[in-house]
Amino acid sequence: MRWDWSLLAPEYLLAGWAALMALLGLWGRLRAYWLGYVAAAGALASAATSLIWLGDRTAFGDLLAVDHYTTFFRVTFGLIAASVCLISAGYVERFLRHHGEYYAILVVSVIGATYMAAAQELLSAYIALELLSFSLYVLASYAKMDLRSNEGGLKYMLLGAFSSALFLYGLGLIYAVTKTTHYQGIAEALAGDLGGTKGLALLGLSLIVVGLGFKVSAVPFHMWAPDAYEGAPLPVTAFISAISKAAGFALFLKLMVQAFLPLHDDWSPLLASLATVTMLLGNLVAVHQRNIKRLLAYSSIGQVGYLLAGIAALSPETANAASAVLLHLAGYVISNLAAFACVTVYYNWTGKEDIYEYRGLAERAPFVALALSISLFSLAGMPLFAGFVTKFVLFQAIAEADLLWLAAVAVFASFVSLYYYLMVMRQMYLVEPETRERLGVAWPEYGLVAVLVVAIFVVGLGPQPLFNAAQEAASLVYQGAATFAALSP
Amino acid sequence: MVGMEHAWVLPALPFGAFVLLMLAGRYLPRRGDLLAVGAMAASAVLFSFVLADLTDALAHGEFQGVFSGTDWLKFDTFHVRLGFYFDRLAAVMLAVVTYVGTLIFVYSMGYMKGDPRYGWFFAAMSLFAASMMTLVLADNLLLLYGAWEAVGFCSYLLIGFWHERRPAAEAAKKAFITTRIGDVGFLIGIVLLWREAGTFNLQEIFRFAQEGGYSTPYLTLAVLLLFAGAVGKSAQFPLHVWLPDAMEGPTPVSALIHAATMVVAGVYMVARTMPLFQEADPVALDVVTSLGLTTVVLSATIALVVRDVKRVIAYSTINSLGLMMVALGAGSVTAAMFYLFVHGFFKALLFLAAGNVLHATDRQTVDDLGGLARKMPLTAVAFGVGALAMAGLFPFAGFWAKDEILVAAREYHNQVAVAVLWVSVALAALYMGRLYTLVFTGQPRDRHVWEHAHEGPPIMVGPVLLLTLGAVVTGFLAFDQVGEALGLGGGIGQFVYLEEPHTFHMPWGEAIGSTLLVVASLGAAWAIWGGKGELAVQLGKRLQPLYLLLWNKYYMDDLYQWIVNRIVLAGGAVVAWFDRVVVNDTGVDGSAGLTALGGWLMRQLQTGKLPNYALAIATGAAVIGAVVLVSRM
Repeated sequence: MRWDWSLLAPEYLLAGWAALMALLGLWGRLRAYWLGYVAAAGALASAATSLIWLGDRTAFGDLLAVDHYTTFFRVTFGLIAASVCLISAGYVERFLRHHGEYYAILVVSVIGATYMAAAQELLSAYIALELLSFSLYVLASYAKMDLRSNEGGLKYMLLGAFSSALFLYGLGLIYAVTKTTHYQGIAEALAGDLGGTKGLALLGLSLIVVGLGFKVSAVPFHMWAPDAYEGAPLPVTAFISAISKAAGFALFLKLMVQAFLPLHDDWSPLLASLATVTMLLGNLVAVHQRNIKRLLAYSSIGQVGYLLAGIAALSPETANAASAVLLHLAGYVISNLAAFACVTVYYNWTGKEDIYEYRGLAERAPFVALALSISLFSLAGMPLFAGFVTKFVLFQAIAEADLLWLAAVAVFASFVSLYYYLMVMRQMYLVEPETRERLGVAWPEYGLVAVLVVAIFVVGLGPQPLFNAAQEAASLVYQGAATFAALSP
Repeated sequence: MVGMEHAWVLPALPFGAFVLLMLAGRYLPRRGDLLAVGAMAASAVLFSFVLADLTDALAHGEFQGVFSGTDWLKFDTFHVRLGFYFDRLAAVMLAVVTYVGTLIFVYSMGYMKGDPRYGWFFAAMSLFAASMMTLVLADNLLLLYGAWEAVGFCSYLLIGFWHERRPAAEAAKKAFITTRIGDVGFLIGIVLLWREAGTFNLQEIFRFAQEGGYSTPYLTLAVLLLFAGAVGKSAQFPLHVWLPDAMEGPTPVSALIHAATMVVAGVYMVARTMPLFQEADPVALDVVTSLGLTTVVLSATIALVVRDVKRVIAYSTINSLGLMMVALGAGSVTAAMFYLFVHGFFKALLFLAAGNVLHATDRQTVDDLGGLARKMPLTAVAFGVGALAMAGLFPFAGFWAKDEILVAAREYHNQVAVAVLWVSVALAALYMGRLYTLVFTGQPRDRHVWEHAHEGPPIMVGPVLLLTLGAVVTGFLAFDQVGEALGLGGGIGQFVYLEEPHTFHMPWGEAIGSTLLVVASLGAAWAIWGGKGELAVQLGKRLQPLYLLLWNKYYMDDLYQWIVNRIVLAGGAVVAWFDRVVVNDTGVDGSAGLTALGGWLMRQLQTGKLPNYALAIATGAAVIGAVVLVSRM
């Protein structure tokens, strides 16, 4: 057993940076606006540091793996946090108080997310999950004077506690059956003869699925999401929509592959049906939304449905579905962050977040309107844009796993999603604006939006590098897991 | 060292200019036109280096066709590799795109000056140039098709550049829809080829076909569908009707897109896929020849009566495109590409010189022009050279290229083709002579316009003069000595060929015969339309039915309109009824209503009350647990 503490350097950096942010907020003379940039630099530095272990395959004891999978998510989370810090810069200065702590909590939450992806055993994963969740509870209710923010944050926390309890219960059941919390040990035990305890193991697995389903807002555990999204400060909404999904799926995917693959035949139909209701409900209810934050909340529930379908399509034979899930996760995160950046810019100008208030935006701020359209097209999965390629690969993987009907549902849900994305674009391009006065230019945010839009096109037109990264990350998770799957009855 | 592997930079440069102009055009000096022109010129310079590298490799006999590409998508069995393929065929086409393109870009700085959408013009032109180069360099049908649609889209944007004017908007729409008819066939053809071969890569498809992978009828169908794309893009009968209307666009657009480059993309594509045509049933090439010949006859006769200067040139372009198709039908890639190459120069010259006239007079029909040689001597000389090149008089560029096609048709033993081509030679000289006579000689028909006419600024005259030079000298590339002097290792016949190179021999029969014919036709043109043009009026009266037939363009536009009105729209009415009652009311509205209702019902679950949410989670957990357990028991 190796306890090489240097493997955790990116997280030391984040922790130190969080302390620095808090101190800067207390005693620093830096304008609140610049704090966002300092925090973003820290997140980027952590992502860059993680590249030291690129291609490595090592572990911190038997608790945390530091391999391609972890690196993939360290980089993803670092970029998410950096983007959200930049989105926050203008917003936080104007609408929130206690700027230093805001960024400190944001940076700390990345540590939790990272360990969710890195964890090799259930208790570490659970602690990491709670670290992320608690940060998000605080952030969601950060607008102290805003009732909606309080309400959303409170609901999120109470229900989060409830679902954590279910998750822990499931964890306990699994431990009772397998006598271990390590993924590999669980897989070995499950692949063996379980006798009469198999039902207990399945119950434990179901409860874990419920707990994780809550974190990624799968239906019917999604109800907190629209309220929390609507109430939370805008950049926090962006953060929750990106990191809680990405980290949730990082854990979910690894757990299902490394620990529960032997029971694949039992949980695959369960996840397929969860995916179906999630895709359908998320996309259908989105059609009725009037608030852009709620619209994006439901749209991301729909996206979660596609990803769940990808998990249902996991198979012991090939890592295709796993890499497709990672790919679509990355595509979704990029597109969603771009959309939220645009929405935040507009909110900073006008304080408006209802969809009809976007009317005529194309005339008043053509760049924002265009960028928002591009990100929505990408979320809808139109060709040229990132979303097309990632969805195409994901749906193909689902279809190849003999879940053709599930792929068909996903395609249908995508059609529905195009409808409500186009509704927003219709307001921006076809409806006359209230006034023709041009809105200003927000250079730093524009820069971020431009980078994200370029990323959407890069992934859309040349997805191979990202695809390779996803494939390598996924194949590493599979190594080891495959051997146990072979033992499976 | 810059080599062929850098060919991908060629389209990247104008594309970069396009992006910059779109993003920051407003903040750039002069709306960024210098950036666009600079990128295009840089492409031209870079192309020269790449070409030098190609000829170098050829001289050492090590050329294999240079790829630079990446895996675009690769998972499991689905594998698409996108890349660029630089060979001699691409080099000829790129020479036209980069060299002629640069001159037209420079010219545009003068011609478009003061236009409210000046910056947008250069952005769209840059995007076009980038797409065009991508089309030429594509090593696979998927990328080729993407670029094919992109140039069509740019053409749409630029024909409708002055979209406030209704004819321009209408023409843009017509061009887009008409070419789209061909494109559907093109896409189906691509899919057919892919389905059997499992790849989009052109070289691999050729190999697959040569190994007999396709059955002959299947391949014949596929290449005919490919050809349908070329018919639309290269304005061949019966889809030629969009090109004359496309003249509503600004003149540099006509010169670049609708003369030198985009419209010859169809010819290029057929030349590129010629190995497939040869593997297919001979009937495929017969179709190419027949449609080419029909196009030649239609366009050359209509051009005799059209009164709009730019439209006459447009019909002459259709005429030229028909000639190139006939050359391809005779299996001579050399003749087609040679004509394509010189055509790019002299046709761009004709358009730009006509643009000078338009710019100076603001008039576009011959009824308002006349006698302009005295006011605009340089333009008159330039236009004259372009007209003679088009007519094919010795020693201008068109002469050599046209003779190559005559020889190719003769060697192919196609008597009908030979006869029609000779008629075409006579007609081309006749209508080009007519146009020159009406615009530049005789008495001005509108005194006021004539008095205000003047030569254009240097930035417009300069490119015209350079193109004039090109219209004279490019034809000499037929000679091996000229080609060797340029480092090409031989004349055009040694450079671009399908099976084996051939050396140019003066075809004395065609040369002397066509020269006499052209001179006679030019004389006839002068006699008919020179001076006051009384003979023309008399002829018009004497041959009124013929005149009306030509004037109405063989009634093809009317026929199409009739088809659209009576068949498409009538059929549309039936479909619309079906759509309204069955599809919409029951299907769409029904399902939309159902969707909305479903969404509304599900939304009722979202009460906003915390206990309800917790109940949902608990219920969900209970149901899942129960289902999983029960299914196991």
